[in-house]
Amino acid sequence: MFAIITILALLATGLGLAYRRFRIQHPSAEGNILYAAIILDFTRWLGQRTPEILSKPAPAGWPAWIKDFRLWRLPLFEKWLLIGLYGSFLYLAASGFFFAIFIRRGLYGFPLVLHVVAGALFAVCLTLIAFLRTRRFTFNPGPLTLPGDFDAVRKFRIPWGPQDWAKGFFWLFFLAGFSLAASALLPMLPWFPYKGQIILFGWHRWSALVSLVAAIVFADLELFRPKPEA
Amino acid sequence: MRSFGRITGSVFCLLVLGLCVTATAEDQKPKPWDGNRTTPAHFIPLRDETNELIVPTDPNPMPFSARYTCGPCHDYKTVQGGWHFDAMKSGKNGRPGEPWIWLDPKTGTVLPLSYRKWPGVWDPKVLRLNPWDFTKLFGRHMPGGGPAEPGDQDVFPGMDARWSVSGKAEVNCLACHNKTGRQDHSEWAKQILRENMRWAATASGGIGEVGGMASRLKETWDVYDGPNPDDHEWAVAPSVKYKTIDFDGKHRYFFEIAYPPDDRNCLACHSVSPVKETRATAAADVHTAKGIKCAECHKNDLGHGILRGYEGESEETGNRTADSFTCRGCHMGEDPAGEKLVVPGRLGAPYPKHKGIPLVHFRTLSCTVCHSGPMPDKDWARVRTSRANRLGIYGVAKWSTDQPAIIEPVYMKDGRGKIEPRRLVWPAFWARTGGKEIIPLQPGVVEAAAGDILKCEERIALVLAALAGACGENETAVLTAGGWTFELNVDGGLDASLLPGAAKPGEKGTAAAAWGAKKDATLSPLVPNFDPAAPDKDPAVETKIQSILEGLGTVAGAPGKPVVMVRKTLYQITDGSLSATEAPAELAAASGPGWLKDNKFEPLAADFDVRTVVAKAGTEQTLTEEQVGLVLKALATKDPGTPEPTKGAVSHLIYVSGGRAFRLNDDGKLTSAASDAAAAPVTWPLAHNVRPVQQSLGWNGCTDCHTADSRFFFKTVKGTGPLLTASITSKSTTSFMGVGGFFQRIFGLTFAVRPFFKIVLALTILATGAVLVVFFLVVAGKLAGLIEKRS
Repeated sequence: MFAIITILALLATGLGLAYRRFRIQHPSAEGNILYAAIILDFTRWLGQRTPEILSKPAPAGWPAWIKDFRLWRLPLFEKWLLIGLYGSFLYLAASGFFFAIFIRRGLYGFPLVLHVVAGALFAVCLTLIAFLRTRRFTFNPGPLTLPGDFDAVRKFRIPWGPQDWAKGFFWLFFLAGFSLAASALLPMLPWFPYKGQIILFGWHRWSALVSLVAAIVFADLELFRPKPEA
Repeated sequence: MRSFGRITGSVFCLLVLGLCVTATAEDQKPKPWDGNRTTPAHFIPLRDETNELIVPTDPNPMPFSARYTCGPCHDYKTVQGGWHFDAMKSGKNGRPGEPWIWLDPKTGTVLPLSYRKWPGVWDPKVLRLNPWDFTKLFGRHMPGGGPAEPGDQDVFPGMDARWSVSGKAEVNCLACHNKTGRQDHSEWAKQILRENMRWAATASGGIGEVGGMASRLKETWDVYDGPNPDDHEWAVAPSVKYKTIDFDGKHRYFFEIAYPPDDRNCLACHSVSPVKETRATAAADVHTAKGIKCAECHKNDLGHGILRGYEGESEETGNRTADSFTCRGCHMGEDPAGEKLVVPGRLGAPYPKHKGIPLVHFRTLSCTVCHSGPMPDKDWARVRTSRANRLGIYGVAKWSTDQPAIIEPVYMKDGRGKIEPRRLVWPAFWARTGGKEIIPLQPGVVEAAAGDILKCEERIALVLAALAGACGENETAVLTAGGWTFELNVDGGLDASLLPGAAKPGEKGTAAAAWGAKKDATLSPLVPNFDPAAPDKDPAVETKIQSILEGLGTVAGAPGKPVVMVRKTLYQITDGSLSATEAPAELAAASGPGWLKDNKFEPLAADFDVRTVVAKAGTEQTLTEEQVGLVLKALATKDPGTPEPTKGAVSHLIYVSGGRAFRLNDDGKLTSAASDAAAAPVTWPLAHNVRPVQQSLGWNGCTDCHTADSRFFFKTVKGTGPLLTASITSKSTTSFMGVGGFFQRIFGLTFAVRPFFKIVLALTILATGAVLVVFFLVVAGKLAGLIEKRS
């Protein structure tokens, strides 16, 4: 069940982000009001994009691509903090989901030990990031005003701009990280019986999925912003 | 018209036959329970094996037969299909259980046998053991039926089988269901050994006294021949004298029946006790301590398919009730798949909370790992079991044995990949190999081929017994050699004790063999030091020498004439009186008692015998490598089933002990290899004793198991066996469990920093939680207008 939902969630996230790129790179598609036509255009675009991506000179071009990251130009502490966060999260996600989806027994052995170590590193880095970076992602809404009449209620919109999506997913990632840390610590304490352990185990897995989806979307929105086609 | 009549007659006969068959089938159907929860008073007329009523006051009554006494109400054939009785015929093997262990210390045989197809055990048929042999070997702890009650086709399979004399040991209902304290397991064992098979239930149930021994009767004797008028002392035919006080006027016997059976009857054959514990300190199973009887969980219906209580039993047997009687079923209300399909809390079973125990433990460990058997200690717990070590049989002779050496708890994976605690025994046996096939040899075959090689103790014991007559009051004849004193024990064997001031056990001394007398722990030479030529010699000394020589003269199979050499004087018995002559020059170096053979002086005990007993003294081992080498050679030449002793022929014979297979190489030297699967230890799961929860593994935390030097993970099982050798197999517990030892050490180490890890994680949770709270408060404040929006 978890494996199926994970695969579907990741596929949906990927398709959603691809569609977003399609819409950004083809603003003309905005005018299309037929869903069938949009899907057709998107499929056609996806069909062209996939061979393009696959034909890129990877992995020969990767070093240059990685070297181009802004991360390397950050101050020393911040750089290593982010390396710790990204590295540990990548390992946590890779090991956790690989074993959850493909290995019947689940995570075990040295990958599990490393998972625990990486979990601690992730939790520490996330905490430090919280103090250093969250200010940047704080929402800044104006005060809500009560709608005066029925028509105003109909016209009411949550104050949510395009830049708020990245912030939203940042906070979702942060919340999921908190949840992951809590669901990792609590089973180790002599408080929860067998049923509680089952719930905590499920909680940890679903938090991980939320965290992964949030991280992917946030990275796409914030770190790898698509550029409109010339 | 005539044909019509014939047809009508035939139809009538068929109808009558059909009605009879239906009626019989109806009679044999198990009667459904009427709902009454009491056990009915069992005033039952006893019937013998021919279904004739037994009149207890008859002059020579037959023993009672459960088939015809209990059978009318409890269908006998249905009972015969029960777990205790159907091993030979049933295709259902179930989870491995304790095998029957054929123990023969003399030939160093520890051979696990079972009719069930369990890993590592040998089918008795492979060893050409027929039901008669099997019953004679193990009937002492069998409840009758099964091999002890063979079908007619099995009654005459071998020359040795004497079923026609002994009768069959039918299913002994009383072995389990006798509520009176009269049920005497020792009596059962004795009757089986006396081949009084058909009388065993009557005698052991306390229904009547049984005298006589079928084993001493000729094979032509029949139970209807009655008493042997020619012999009232030796070959006395078995007979029953019923306790008439327990019969009423209608010759009905009062059976006091236990339903379900009392634990004492189960424990007669299913006791397991640690060797180091005393009766006073041995802990009881927590269920027993709570007053739960064995049979309240190990239930059965008339079919006697006893619930064994392991997960997966219901799939194997098709009995869905089994899921309710596993640990998990009773305590958690879950079937093996974890579904809440069974009723929890039977017999008041508490629901375990298992607080703080990660889920992986429930997936990879059976309940018994943490809750059953002894706590993992520095050393393995050696246990004795009723059937393997012949416990619970009492009499003048000592029945129980220290061997085989069974250890627990060895943790291994079961068929479902869950780790469980097991008992373990290392097999030891002689075998013939041909390609990949291994056929163990019966101890009798080995003993016959080995001849004198395995009789070192016997020969010395015979001499000590012969010398006993020459010893004074309260004196015992002893042999001292290698720092040890050997004396005769009550069973006719040798007891070894360390000489005062001699080397410690394990550091065998090198002192030469000497015969002496022991009185109050003081040793004196058997023949005092004196000068035979002295005119004032003590005449009592020569009287003693005469006694010695007379005693030695009774030794069966002595290699020569007994003599005593004292300072060049040769004492011997000539024409019934002691003669002292000057010893020939070639005997000048000899001294003390010995044998004169071909005018050569030979010591009372051969060097080989002394060397062998000294080597084994103070150990549990019964064979030396030298003996094994010699027996392998002897088997190669004398065993009829072995190929001709051409070059390499001896390599077809092996001796398995301590996890290794020993064989002779082309140079005739003993070599060993651990690769033989037949040498691997035999294990079976243990479930009892269940410890109280405070003695469970994990009660004190993760470090009960997860440390770098954990007793749970890091011990070694060393091969043990009857062979005294340095070549033994060692196996780590992690390899038994199928888990990585290196990983477990590293993982164990991480628990040293686990508290620090928890603190760090808790601090990060507090900090990130605080940030989240602030974030939500700020956003809420801005939305509410309590905090001003940033420009």
